[in-house]
Amino acid sequence: MIDYFHLAWKNLWRNRRRTIITLAAIAFSIMLVQALHNLSAGVYAGMVDSGVRAGSGHIAVYQQNYLAGREEALHFKDLNLVSEIEMIDGVEQVLPRLYIPALAQSSRESRGILLIGVDPERERQINPFLKSLTEDAMIRSADSRDAVVGARLLDELQIKPGQKFVVTAQHQDGTLHSELLRVRGVVSSGMKDIDGSLILVGRERAGLLTGSSSSVHELAVILSNPSYEQSVLGQITTMLAARPDIEAVSWERAMPNLANAIKLDYASQKFIFLIILLIVTIGVINTLLMSVMERMREFGVILALGSKPMVLRGMIMLEALSLGLLAAAFGTLLGSLATWYLVAVGINLADLVPETLEFGGVIFDPILRANWNPGWMIQIAIYVVGLTLLAALYPAIKAGRITPVEGMRHH
Amino acid sequence: MSLIELKSVSKIYRLGSQEVQALTDLSLTFDAGEFAVLAGPSGSGKTTALNLIGCLDRPSTGQVIVSGIDLGTASPRQLADFRLQHIGFIFQSYNLIPVLTAAENAEFTLMLQKVPKRLRREKVCKLFADLGIDGLEDRRPSDLSGGQQQRVAIARAMAANPQVILADEPTANLDSHTAEDLLDLMRQLNQEKGTTFIFSSHDDRVISQARRVIRLEDGYLAEDIRITM
Amino acid sequence: MLLTLAFRNLWRNRRRTLLTLSAMVVSAALLILALGVFSGMFKDMLASATEQYYGHLVIAHPEYHLRRDLYAHLPIDIVDLPAIDRELAITGKSPRLRSFGLLSRPETSQPVELLGIIPELEQQVTSLQRQLTAGHYPTAEEHNGALIGQGLAHKMKVQPGDELVFITQAADGSIGNDLLIVSGIFATGDSRHDNNLVLAPLPWLQQVLVLPGRIHEVAMVIDDPMIAAQVADRMAPHLSGNIEVLDWGDLLPEMREVIAAYDVSRMIIVTILYMATGLGILNTFFMSVMERTREFGILMAQGMRPWSIRGLVLLETLLLSIIALAIGLFCGAIMTLYMQQVGIDLSAYITPVTYAGGTILPRLHAVFESGNFLVPAGMLLLVSLFAGFLPANRAARLDPVAAVRED
Ligand SMILES: Nc1ncnc2c1ncn2[C@@H]1O[C@H](COP(=O)(O)OP(=O)(O)OP(=O)(O)O)[C@@H](O)[C@H]1O
Ligand SMILES: [Mg+2]
Repeated sequence: MIDYFHLAWKNLWRNRRRTIITLAAIAFSIMLVQALHNLSAGVYAGMVDSGVRAGSGHIAVYQQNYLAGREEALHFKDLNLVSEIEMIDGVEQVLPRLYIPALAQSSRESRGILLIGVDPERERQINPFLKSLTEDAMIRSADSRDAVVGARLLDELQIKPGQKFVVTAQHQDGTLHSELLRVRGVVSSGMKDIDGSLILVGRERAGLLTGSSSSVHELAVILSNPSYEQSVLGQITTMLAARPDIEAVSWERAMPNLANAIKLDYASQKFIFLIILLIVTIGVINTLLMSVMERMREFGVILALGSKPMVLRGMIMLEALSLGLLAAAFGTLLGSLATWYLVAVGINLADLVPETLEFGGVIFDPILRANWNPGWMIQIAIYVVGLTLLAALYPAIKAGRITPVEGMRHH
Repeated sequence: MSLIELKSVSKIYRLGSQEVQALTDLSLTFDAGEFAVLAGPSGSGKTTALNLIGCLDRPSTGQVIVSGIDLGTASPRQLADFRLQHIGFIFQSYNLIPVLTAAENAEFTLMLQKVPKRLRREKVCKLFADLGIDGLEDRRPSDLSGGQQQRVAIARAMAANPQVILADEPTANLDSHTAEDLLDLMRQLNQEKGTTFIFSSHDDRVISQARRVIRLEDGYLAEDIRITM
Repeated sequence: MLLTLAFRNLWRNRRRTLLTLSAMVVSAALLILALGVFSGMFKDMLASATEQYYGHLVIAHPEYHLRRDLYAHLPIDIVDLPAIDRELAITGKSPRLRSFGLLSRPETSQPVELLGIIPELEQQVTSLQRQLTAGHYPTAEEHNGALIGQGLAHKMKVQPGDELVFITQAADGSIGNDLLIVSGIFATGDSRHDNNLVLAPLPWLQQVLVLPGRIHEVAMVIDDPMIAAQVADRMAPHLSGNIEVLDWGDLLPEMREVIAAYDVSRMIIVTILYMATGLGILNTFFMSVMERTREFGILMAQGMRPWSIRGLVLLETLLLSIIALAIGLFCGAIMTLYMQQVGIDLSAYITPVTYAGGTILPRLHAVFESGNFLVPAGMLLLVSLFAGFLPANRAARLDPVAAVRED
């Protein structure tokens, strides 16, 4: 076997330039695919992280059916669910929330909004909108009249921090209830939808509007590491066995917009990967076929000397394997270098698109940074080695099919 | 029992709609230890006959029987195995594998036979010494003269100790002096080791060295003379 | 003569030329398809914002756009401004009054955005009438008929014929509330519209808001959304100081930039993809040149100039890329056409995705855009010439004596 590898290696370098160009093409494609994938993985991870922190957590707990239409009436008593879930390993924070469709009114304007009732202490540690606020801009307690409001909404209502406004919503009894709130903090995220509609208040105060003070619509569970998702989801589901009216769902289900944005983006990227790999495969077929066609005479001799066709085919496959392995190693090296750069420095999109960009309901950081994904990189390298072998199949079969006499008559 | 037997063998090549009758009704037998030449002008069918004897090709009609085995029904795999075990080849234009060194070329059939590397090297070194090309083991074919390349080709053919060595115009690319040396060498091997040599040539000086001259003309057997010394 | 020679040379090694050709065709055709689909997504995205809501151009009070100030209203007769009538590109215009409020039923209340419209005019601007799932578009005769989104209808559990109360703050400071009757329900796939938007007759809303004869904006559409900014620039000088014209790019700056950035990202995608193809071309022509070393030597010995040799090889690459382009563009166009006519419905796998203020629908659907053909075509020619250059140089620099000796 070693001898055959030795022979394959030597044959590979017969036409040095051709092999190097082919190698470069394969290695370049591997690098490209690995670097692009790592870059997207990094961007997606960032989107998910900010998405779950501002949104419904890595895992969200709802009343059954709430997700279908987010109806206000589908809230539940949290009892001690919050503290129970908090005890699970890997859970960083549990955020109880109440969502109330309401009308916000200043003396001049009114806007339809979704009032979010939160636990200010907990929310502040996680929610990126609150994190940037100073102490005196925070909601002081769950039953205070303090509100944190989106900058654009504030502007549309034509009020200033410290001023009062009224929110009106429908109470459980069917009548309209109003509450007077005071603007404490202002959120300026850059995202039109958020800045134009966000109102956060303490959940006790929010509950007064609808008469559901000790209830919640959502428990957003934030994990200390996204990889715990499956195990924590399983534990919460087990915990909820006694309460069939409540379910726990992953962020993909709770935030389909974000999950699908990632899916869609990744799918289009995969299509590009597919084209790249297809082109490279054609190139490899071309190189291997040329190299085989040139050597038909030699193959005739080898067959005449008593080599079985299968052995000859094996020899050609071994050449392809060495080419593939070399290209995979080289490409992965380049891919690692590129990834290293993208992790350390990243790409600054701000030069290309100065506006704040929203995708799938989250803002993405204009500096794109990659994530290391060694498993996937190796997988793609193996994949390419497989493609090289696949590309060698036709030339190998062709070489094995000639008779020694035909081969020797070549040229 | 004769070593190789051709029984009224014909070979027809098809080139599109055209048919070329390369050999017609050829019957020949070879015994072990022979030193025979296939002679005849260009296009007379020498290469075709050698290919049939060497099981590289199948006859259109007739039988090729080697060591009592009819190879007419053998698969390409079986034929390859048979060649590997029993037959050595020397080609006109040496046909060494350019990427391998001289020694590696000579070891090639042994490699196919899965002989361990150390044994192979030993055997080839001895052969190289016998053939007078010791010291050239690590050279590439491109760095060898025609005569040296052809000796390497002989070493390759001899390495697996075949019963028969077939050589298609082994001297055609060599000058007359080198050609004579090579022929002496082949005859020496034939006498010392008893290996059967069948080769083709249209060079009269080469033909005169043979102990049996089989003359072909237009695919027909013209004469078959054994010269007793 | 040189052309015939180049052409014949190409077909000397048929298999190799065909394989290289196929790599070029595949990359060009699939690129065109991919770009067509990306453009389709952008078009859906833009349409979701403009054709379902904003329109391509809007004229309004200068104070209105940023904060949508209830009091920044204009008289309805601005619909017939000469500046609008003179602009032939405008194919539809709709006066609108906007209000934000609560839509109430005994069981539930939902925050909504309500547009007061004139049905015949609004249908020239937005395409909601083509996206009805129940009932009918409100007619001018129904004085309080409302068109609401499907998400909203679902939350409020209403059907055509049901009554709703709209509550908001009127211009005189009072709380206005009045009865609406659901005429129809629409579904755009964009949750922001489906959950939030209500269309009702303009006179009805004027009465609720106590703004008789007033509107907030005139939304307009044109044939080619891409020239909206130019049309706006043409109109601006003819408008008085209390009226401004905005194109969709002003309304949705992030979308304008995403679409503008597409030109750059398209270039990047094309370049990256052609890199691998270019290396293939490079390889093929190196092989072909090296095989013909002896032949080039003879040509040069006969007095052919190095530049002509270079030209010959470059001509061969150019010829190959032109053939590849012809086939690639054709295949790309066929695939784009298929994706335009048929497309692939992805709604079973994904839901609509919001992006840069618009919505990407869950479907693969291509559109024809000249840039999607021109850029891959131009780049392919460039890349082939570039890839042909090294081998051509190599052939031109041969030493005739050494080359002839080679076998
Ligand atoms: N593969 C083939 N296909 C078609 N015709 C062939 C083939 N091989 C040989 N021939 C024809 O068969 C005839 C005998 O050819 P062969 O090669 O056996 O002659 P030869 O005696 O070896 O000639 P030379 O001295 O030139 O080598 C010739 O007419 C040749 O053209
Ligand atoms: Mg011959």
